[in-house]
Amino acid sequence: MKRIAKIIPAFLMLFLFAACESTDVVESGTYSGTVDEVEADKTEIYVKTDDGKMLELYFTDETSLTIAGEEVDFSMLEEGMSVEVEIEKVGKRLDPISVKIIE
Amino acid sequence: MDQLPDFWRTEVFHPLSVHLPIALLLVATFFKIVSLWKSGETWNKGGSILLFIGVVGAWISVYTGNLADGIVSRNLCDPTVLKDHENSSLIMAWLFTIAFLLEAAYSFLRRGWLNHLVVALMIAGSGFLVYTGHLGATLVYQQAAGVYVPSDDCEEFE
Repeated sequence: MKRIAKIIPAFLMLFLFAACESTDVVESGTYSGTVDEVEADKTEIYVKTDDGKMLELYFTDETSLTIAGEEVDFSMLEEGMSVEVEIEKVGKRLDPISVKIIE
Repeated sequence: MDQLPDFWRTEVFHPLSVHLPIALLLVATFFKIVSLWKSGETWNKGGSILLFIGVVGAWISVYTGNLADGIVSRNLCDPTVLKDHENSSLIMAWLFTIAFLLEAAYSFLRRGWLNHLVVALMIAGSGFLVYTGHLGATLVYQQAAGVYVPSDDCEEFE
């Protein structure tokens, strides 16, 4: 029983750390990847880039979202979609300038 | 002329809700540590009650923090601090929640090691609680998260 008491906290901490989301900061530029998560109420998306970076992007009033050149609503975004995002790095914040849904 | 924004903004509910659980959970941990050496209902029962109220408060704080996140993130210069704050707060809330559930189990099973495990989880939770608070303070005092910055001439206050 005492051994269990020692093992439980270790497993618990491992589980809790593994459950945490971590994001990356990248330089301004254009990146392609896949939509990992959509938080519609915050107009926020997580994009996993092709080189394995996780980008957290909050849409601004200036962010354009397009499919084949046509502007579309944020509600069109879904997890698993292929996208190309143009990002401006401001401090360590990543402002999406444009998000192109490639599908 | 700038207008002074309403005080009761969504992001303000987070600082309003965090301080009570911070105090309760730290005092609950202290009570539970003392209860390992001192017998008597005050330390043990008192710690349990504080833990329960603190856990409820912690999850309310996580909820209000999630609401504030969508608003303040767009204005931060380093949102990675906010992400660390969020992650740390979730670890803290789960540690105290699991401690509370094991505490409930202890009242039925009465295994000594379970009680020690509860205290260990609460000490770990307190560490994350302090770290979460530190990150929250950093967000407010270094990045003005959720803070209205008055105009240079303070015209909106006239």
